[in-house]
Amino acid sequence: MAVPNKILGIYNLFKQFSSRDSLKWATLRPVLISNRAISTSNPQRGLMEFFDDKTNWGANEIKCGRSWRKEELRLKSNSDLHKLWFILLKERNMLLTMEEEANERVQVFPSPERLDKVAESMENLEEVVRERNRAYHELETGETGERPGKLATNIFGLNYFYKMSEHVIPKYMNKTWRKKYQFFKHDPDVEAFLVKLRERLYLNKRRKHTRDFNHVIGLLNRFPNMDMEALKQQYPDVDIERAKRSRKYGGHFEPK
Amino acid sequence: MRISLSQFARIGKWSKQYANLPERYIERAMNQVYWKNPKGPQYKPNAVIQRKKFYFGVHRPWTMEFKDENQPGRYHPKVFVEPVKDWSYFRGDRVEVLVGKDKGKQGIVKSVIEERNWVIVEGLNCKLKNLGKNERRNFEGVYVQQEQPLLVTNEVALVDPSDLQATPFEWRFTEQGDKVRVSLRTGRIIPIPKSVEETIDYKSKSTYKEQSKDTTADVASEITFEPKLCTFEMDIMDEMGIKEDRLPPKTYWY
Repeated sequence: MAVPNKILGIYNLFKQFSSRDSLKWATLRPVLISNRAISTSNPQRGLMEFFDDKTNWGANEIKCGRSWRKEELRLKSNSDLHKLWFILLKERNMLLTMEEEANERVQVFPSPERLDKVAESMENLEEVVRERNRAYHELETGETGERPGKLATNIFGLNYFYKMSEHVIPKYMNKTWRKKYQFFKHDPDVEAFLVKLRERLYLNKRRKHTRDFNHVIGLLNRFPNMDMEALKQQYPDVDIERAKRSRKYGGHFEPK
Repeated sequence: MRISLSQFARIGKWSKQYANLPERYIERAMNQVYWKNPKGPQYKPNAVIQRKKFYFGVHRPWTMEFKDENQPGRYHPKVFVEPVKDWSYFRGDRVEVLVGKDKGKQGIVKSVIEERNWVIVEGLNCKLKNLGKNERRNFEGVYVQQEQPLLVTNEVALVDPSDLQATPFEWRFTEQGDKVRVSLRTGRIIPIPKSVEETIDYKSKSTYKEQSKDTTADVASEITFEPKLCTFEMDIMDEMGIKEDRLPPKTYWY
């Protein structure tokens, strides 16, 4: 089979490198005596940990539960979350490897929603960790302790959220930063562009309104016994009385 | 900002309930992005060209049939869908068919397609479909019965469980504050069936069979959190015995 050969190849490559560098590293690296020598994690399978269990190879469907929710993660201690993060990371690596392998062999990757479940769990976990850190920083310093940012206007006059970054020298000394991040300054060309952009946005909005208005007339014509409240709920911007006054409303017959 | 397809297409809660798939996967599966601006100051952020109009038929958005119906360049005539305030027809409901050759018969709702106001009733309103007809090989094909969707607005009616007759109904609140469907003819509550919770993975949450990689319920609900006056990183460093007493140099945020 191609997969084990490929893995064997990668493994040999690693071995080659490690054997070549081992002498050099042996003198440089201090010997670490860790108090965490006894590992409770699963038996190591080396590079095969990037692949799914062999029983799942070629399966049509691999069932699994839902993703971790925030309220469940809030119950867990920091070290549990830390462990869970790496479990999820390994799982994601495994899934991405399997997906890549399936694509390469033109096969179906079974249950692709697993990737989304893992991603959702990781997003939730990160949010819970940040929540805890925010709480600590707000209590101790009165600030969130997150990466600061602000609303800024870029050189084309468009607003965006600028994420600040940490520098060792102040702004006035940092020539490269000043060159890279240029913010909005008055410019007649940009003003002209912005006028056109706003016109475009306004036209899009008006077209949407017209489209909805005509759609409501179509609905009124097709479903005369329609629930008007539901219609108002779905199209709150459309004036239904005005739609009924339109010449497009009603059939091609003489009114009574 | 994540570009969400939900601004363009709405997939009803009850149409995806049975499949038990994460929302994110459904979005990813039906998304058709033709162009996305690269990141960079010279590009407009989040500019994307993608399919906005989707045709919703009986096939679910994550299936190959849906992809086939909505393949790039394939468009369908506009469908007008009557707005409905509260969705009231669920999987497992007993309904009476009001139109077609099965008019007057009662059946159980098999699946719900909210995007089109449709329900599919088990074994009713069927059409014969020929499968595998091949003239070259002189094969007549096989006929199968296929249930056709029915509109909830005027083609089916809910059945009152007290007298097993079709009835008009409305949503009302009980004294406990629960929202229930009430039969207008008899005033009895039409209970929402248990099979609403059912998904392709389990009949009910309590009978779910745990898979090898699932965290068991007792482990998931175990409380190991202890409030401490430290950040996540401080706690982990403390636990691993990492000591950090160097003072960071002065930095500037901008």
